[in-house]
Amino acid sequence: MGYGLEDLFRLVQKPGRYTGGELNSIIKKKEEIEVRFAFCFPDLYEVGMSHLGMKLLYGLLNERQDIWCERAFMPDTDMEILMRENNIKLFSLESRDEINTFDFIGFTLQYELSYTAVLNMLELSGLPLNAADRQDTHPLVIGGGPCVCNPEPVADFFDLFALGEGEEVTLEIIDLYRRHKSKGYNKAAFLVEAAQIEGVYVPSLYRPSYNPDGTIESMTPLNGAPPKVRKRIIKDLDTSYYPDKFVVPFIDIVHDRAMSEIFRGCIRGCRFCQAGFIYRPVREKSPETINSQSRALCESTGYEEFSLSSLSTGDYSQIERLLPMLLDWAEKQQTNISLPSLRIDGFSEELVEKLNVLRRSGLTFAPEAGTQRLRDAINKNISQEEILETTRKAFSSGWTGVKLYFMMGLPTETMEDVAGIAALGQKIVDCYYANPDKPKGKGVNVSLSVSCFVPKPFTPFQWEPQDTAEILEQKQKHLRNSITTRKITLHSHDPSTSFLEGVFARGDRRLCRVIQEAFDRGCKRDAWSEHFNLNTWLDVMADLEIEPAFYANRRREYDEILPWDHLDYGITKSFLINENRNAHQSITTPHCRIDCSGCGAAVWKGGVCIDKRD
Amino acid sequence: MIKEIRIHFRKCGQVKYISHLDLMRTMTRAVRRAGIPVWYTEGFNKHPYLTFAAPLSLGVEGLSESMDIKLIQDIDMEDIVSGLNSVLPSGLEVYSAGTPVMKAGDIDKAVYRLTFPVKPKDFAAFLEQDSITVEKRTKKGGQRLIELKPFIEQGAISQKDDGSTVMEVTLPCSSTQTINPLLIVSACKNYFADKGQQHIFCDVLRLDLLDGQGNSFK
Repeated sequence: MGYGLEDLFRLVQKPGRYTGGELNSIIKKKEEIEVRFAFCFPDLYEVGMSHLGMKLLYGLLNERQDIWCERAFMPDTDMEILMRENNIKLFSLESRDEINTFDFIGFTLQYELSYTAVLNMLELSGLPLNAADRQDTHPLVIGGGPCVCNPEPVADFFDLFALGEGEEVTLEIIDLYRRHKSKGYNKAAFLVEAAQIEGVYVPSLYRPSYNPDGTIESMTPLNGAPPKVRKRIIKDLDTSYYPDKFVVPFIDIVHDRAMSEIFRGCIRGCRFCQAGFIYRPVREKSPETINSQSRALCESTGYEEFSLSSLSTGDYSQIERLLPMLLDWAEKQQTNISLPSLRIDGFSEELVEKLNVLRRSGLTFAPEAGTQRLRDAINKNISQEEILETTRKAFSSGWTGVKLYFMMGLPTETMEDVAGIAALGQKIVDCYYANPDKPKGKGVNVSLSVSCFVPKPFTPFQWEPQDTAEILEQKQKHLRNSITTRKITLHSHDPSTSFLEGVFARGDRRLCRVIQEAFDRGCKRDAWSEHFNLNTWLDVMADLEIEPAFYANRRREYDEILPWDHLDYGITKSFLINENRNAHQSITTPHCRIDCSGCGAAVWKGGVCIDKRD
Repeated sequence: MIKEIRIHFRKCGQVKYISHLDLMRTMTRAVRRAGIPVWYTEGFNKHPYLTFAAPLSLGVEGLSESMDIKLIQDIDMEDIVSGLNSVLPSGLEVYSAGTPVMKAGDIDKAVYRLTFPVKPKDFAAFLEQDSITVEKRTKKGGQRLIELKPFIEQGAISQKDDGSTVMEVTLPCSSTQTINPLLIVSACKNYFADKGQQHIFCDVLRLDLLDGQGNSFK
């Protein structure tokens, strides 16, 4: 006799991850539903429930009476063992039905190291991992999120990918599915037709061939699939759907608060940042929309805190009009506004003071590189003087801690640039002690968090070799030795996870076998450092005669066909080549509001591309 | 004005799987959603002031749970009850609100109903042991052996239609001594596991909290 699901709840840690029943979760009558959609996040409940995109699509799909969107997450190890022992399949939180009975299983691919978790969730559902092995009776497995801008390493496991913003295209896919279902559903026929929807990439309809040196020779579309698949965007965020309710978790999650999306895209164009390119063009919501959406969310959830979500909130053009509107009711309702570090120099004294009344989220900066030369090369247009000026202001109003984010292994980086990270930290320490009004008896703490750079598709660095783990370790050592004060705390990231991330980020379809084999050998929680095991991956790649350095550490030629060249994110290759050349000469590119650099995103004729420039 | 109010509620069904900390967060947000004018703590992290009597363990249901809030404006007690119920997740249900009669420190005992998926005859054998002990983790991280027999021999035993055994028992629940009903559950589990029965899952329901005189906590 085995255990039932209810019994498992009594045996596992944090059963609240699996029970569902949270406020604002949606229960529908099965008999009234045409399409059942399992939104799967390949990570723990606490991580997945913090993700805004999931809340958005969950609300959007459930607005439709014929669709029931439910949630499923990766179970923790204890739960997974019990599920496997007792033959309990992966279930949704709402109905607790096995997701293998659903019409769609949608995964969001937020980070490369979650790929094996996707396979694990498919296996826990009792489904064949490979799309080719799944029949007409199986759910369609679809993927979205930033990683689908190069989904080739997981292409074999998915039936289709939705490129770009999912609000419209997901509904179009579902509507097509309904039409097919009403006249006798056949998966192959459905996929051929789905490939005609803009933004839909059906990987099985593209056949790669390779050159003798291992690079791609061609990618041939089949059955009338378009040679290039263009991502989707929502043109007007003021009229597009935004949820007025969030599911409010019982258990503590990573970001447990209301979130208002204030714009999409980023004007900056930092050359290392994939998000800065793949979400273009910048499209803002009006302060009025943000204000009413924020207020509705806070009232329906009871959250005591809400944050403004975007890639760079300080760049919201109407922040000074928005904040007083929000503060007006937030103060009365004792609701905190959590803001990332803004360029506060432009704010009025009164506004700064009001924000200080609310909870302080901590002062953070992301200079990303230690010297001005390297910051110019990566187009991170923040100067040392700006950082010091803002910290000076912050110190004089009572702050005693600053956190700075850097990357190591950026293209053109030298040991001098690495030492520059420590030097900048030191200057901030000095700046604190130079302040005559500094709080008595209190020291300063400057925290330097240094991650390892991973070159990503659709960035000007997509051709660059990633630093090897050995070089990164040398650089980390050099940085440690360059820090001479205990006022600075250094947090370095493990280069081995970044290495695997680098392999997948620019990988091609031949990596599907690697991911499957590594999964078979027990890799399924790579995104969790305590479960990550690089050696297994290296063994798998050696056994399958796949050279990881080919993907991670190789410089590509500009004319090489890249595994994601048949996907179109609006950014032209000529622009990226130009940006790459500029990087090597430390020439900066102005941001979108100063001047248009012709990246290609203007094809959508939306947002900043059609706004009047300053 | 600041007026203390005691709210009684039930915590039943799937919400038994949320911890006391989770419950506090859930209730805090419910109070905010309902728009009840409550007093907020001062200081760095302002939040509505809520206190709970005798936290429930994870996995245990409760029929007479209580929390205290501080009103800063007079509102109708009925409105507190209906306001909260309209915004609470299912499984949490408020049934009364009013001025506290007792102090939290007056709580002395708790009444539980434990349901064991074993026949009364077998359960009797468990009870008839000379000694019923279970290991309890101490706050310092060690283990301590607890003798449960004196606490459970007074329990009232009955049989449910499905053949399982129900025991209603009153256990100490004060600042000086508390016996967690889950200790009885694990003693029972261990006993039947030794007999080869591995699948003993017990339901625990707290029926009431009592003061030293045996009056319900109000």
